Amino acid sequence: MWIRESTSVFAYPTILSAHAIGMGLAAGFNFALVAHVLGLGRSIPTSELRRFLPVMWWGFWLNAVSGAALLIAYPTKALTNPVFYVKMSLIAFAIRLVVVMDRRILRSSWPDTARPSVKVLAIASLVSWTGAITAGRFLAYTYTRLFASW
Amino acid sequence: MIDFQIWLVALCARATAVRTLMHAPWVWGGAETIHFIGLSLLFGGIFLFDLRLLGVGNRIPIAEVHRFIPLGLLGFGLALASGVLFVMAEPDQYVYNPAFHFKILFMVLAGLNAGVFYLTSYRRAVAAGAAIDATRLSKLIAVASLSLWLGVVVSGRLLTFYRPWPCGADNPPGVLAWCLPGYDEQGR
Repeated sequence: MWIRESTSVFAYPTILSAHAIGMGLAAGFNFALVAHVLGLGRSIPTSELRRFLPVMWWGFWLNAVSGAALLIAYPTKALTNPVFYVKMSLIAFAIRLVVVMDRRILRSSWPDTARPSVKVLAIASLVSWTGAITAGRFLAYTYTRLFASW
Repeated sequence: MIDFQIWLVALCARATAVRTLMHAPWVWGGAETIHFIGLSLLFGGIFLFDLRLLGVGNRIPIAEVHRFIPLGLLGFGLALASGVLFVMAEPDQYVYNPAFHFKILFMVLAGLNAGVFYLTSYRRAVAAGAAIDATRLSKLIAVASLSLWLGVVVSGRLLTFYRPWPCGADNPPGVLAWCLPGYDEQGR
């Protein structure tokens, strides 16, 4: 309730902004990693890209926190919308893939980004992040109930 | 300025086909999705490079990290293309919107900032055998780039709250921020 009706006009917009920035950091780093696995900057030792992994986690936690705040502000809006559950599942899958890619690609001493199984991982990551962003955006257009009383 | 704004709105309003297309089911949300994927790609390319200038992952030569810049430009292209469609479809929601003015300002500054980097520092940073550490000027440019792009995103998110919007049945059109509870207590 504080977030929705705060005396601070900017509480809700600030959280929305944080959510967009976190998305850019989390999805953005993953897109860069996917592009690398698919051939961009092939001369870069893949394990060195691991230095940028904290940026992804920062983005993820920023969004977990800001997302929880948005959910508390409008619980009915999200929880009555099937798209919300699609988004959560896609993010859970995408994060699982980050952990797997970290182990298989970034932390491996001999990562072979040319292996088909690694490319499949990268494409799955690309699809799940793209899907999560799509589901997130359509949350704003597909809700049926904004408040429990409606 | 206001003459220019009125002219621009009138110009965009003539693109009735774009307006019709954008208001077809799913199209606006689809374009928003492309806009946000573009934003993420932009971060993935530009922020990666800015962070490298600031010292993250400095075992990778700056020239190698620069290969990710086209990824950022691709993202910017996607965001720009979808963004132009929003403005053409609903020009008065943007052209008279102060958040939009800031968004454009930050984007222009980010572009100029990148221009300064390529004019002053790029050649030295990516030369064969270049130093591991970026110059102080490059780091300053990287901080400016990160801040300006964050400014673009924040003012983009604030657009909704500064749209010309009628606040309830009795109120004259204002900006949506005025509709939020508590605004009057703050004093306009």
